[in-house]
Amino acid sequence: MSVSLENDVLNYLRDVLDGDLIEAYRQRERRVFVRVKPAAVRRAVQALKDRYSTLRLMTLSAVDTGLDMEYLYHFHINGLVLTVRSVKPKEDNTLESIADLIPAANFIEREISDLFGVKLVNHPQPEHGLILTRDWPDDKRPLRKPFEGILPSKARPVAEALISSSCVAPISAFVQKKREEAGLPKSAPFAFTDEKMMREFQGIIRDTSLSEKVGFDWEKKRLRYK
Amino acid sequence: MVRYAFFLGCQIPMRLPNIEIASRKVFERVGLEAVDLLGYSCCPEPVISRLLDETAALATSARNLAMAEELGLNMMTLCNGCYETLAEANEVLKHDSERRERINGILRRYGREFRGKVDVKHVIEVLYEDIGLDRIRGQIVKPQRMRAALHYGCHLYREYKSPDIMRKPRMMREIAAQTGIEIVDYGLERLCCGYPSMQADEEFSLKNRLLLKLSRMREAGADAIVTACPACMIQFEIGQVMLRSYGIQYNMPCLNLMELLALSFGVPHQELHLELHRSPVLQLVQKMGVK
Repeated sequence: MSVSLENDVLNYLRDVLDGDLIEAYRQRERRVFVRVKPAAVRRAVQALKDRYSTLRLMTLSAVDTGLDMEYLYHFHINGLVLTVRSVKPKEDNTLESIADLIPAANFIEREISDLFGVKLVNHPQPEHGLILTRDWPDDKRPLRKPFEGILPSKARPVAEALISSSCVAPISAFVQKKREEAGLPKSAPFAFTDEKMMREFQGIIRDTSLSEKVGFDWEKKRLRYK
Repeated sequence: MVRYAFFLGCQIPMRLPNIEIASRKVFERVGLEAVDLLGYSCCPEPVISRLLDETAALATSARNLAMAEELGLNMMTLCNGCYETLAEANEVLKHDSERRERINGILRRYGREFRGKVDVKHVIEVLYEDIGLDRIRGQIVKPQRMRAALHYGCHLYREYKSPDIMRKPRMMREIAAQTGIEIVDYGLERLCCGYPSMQADEEFSLKNRLLLKLSRMREAGADAIVTACPACMIQFEIGQVMLRSYGIQYNMPCLNLMELLALSFGVPHQELHLELHRSPVLQLVQKMGVK
């Protein structure tokens, strides 16, 4: 196996996917990985199919990480194994099928749909019932985990308060009143009392992976789970 | 005038303002200027941030430390937990150039830099080393006649300047002794109050930590508990309320060292807002006849 095929695959996908490619690396000889945005999976598969005539889908793996579904498409190209990884938030419980591009994906997508309860989009047979009985309840899929991040329940309000307000102890109206009675300002001079300071504090947090690890939703300013 | 950048932390201003109120009264009387850090954030709390993302934890601490550097002042904390987090981050960043560069790479995007130019001190160290026992003694006008059990708090044993982990607890004991209290030894001073284990197992925390301490304190004849840590105060106060659901009643008052100092300096208890306590501190003080 030449290094040139590994480089060719990685460089080709970098060119084709551009900003939709999040990560691309050679793990070891004959083993390369790329991470792409979920919306770019079909484009990546089509591009691979167009360029490599020996492309074969080995299988598709799915992992429920609690908050997200991780899909790993394992391809074989002339002795090289390429994994195309995409991570989709579970708030969007769908998987866009590639069965029309690669028919071998048909059964494994249905298997994943049965076991994890994800809804298939553009699949020739999207209804479940390949492995499970057709009357199997939607809310009791064997491999689906509860919608939860890594934090235990008691730690969630602390993480949420830290990221959203720069302070882990929310102040009550009663304490504010007592502070004023004692001649203190309503609140201590936390970052949240100054827009510029708060932008700086949250910018620093965003520059690390803390908010992603705890599952913080920056738009809603709260954790993605209760 | 002794000047410090004042790191208030989260719990004290937001949940236990009585400690902040007492501290500012004490600082005024002993000639300590506490300069507020405008725009500071949580130190950060160590359990989540440090365990999950060391970079986020160090960057947050470094931002707070950089603010003190910009003021050209050493930092003073009121809270044992903030002390440990900030002093530890300060040590790590001062001595580990690789981590310092990584963190400064983030801070520079926001116009800040950690230079390692300041020291972090607990308020107990500041009172003992910069103010001195003589000046504290000179302010005592109402000696407190109570038998008190001291709870130092686990993080006060964290030591970055010497191998002597009892250095700061000894300072606290000497400062407390100036107020006229009788310090009651109960043999379990080093045992944790149970605050951290409350997150994992409430019953264990209450019965295997808090209750052990309370029973030994009572056996030793303590009227009250004096602590230096806001988290321990929450555990001693709220924990006693929670113990009632197990049929266990203690009602032992718990106050912060700064409140004890303020009372002994003659600050009227009404100004200290002792009614914010969840344990009978106000009743104890009224019983002692302090106006």
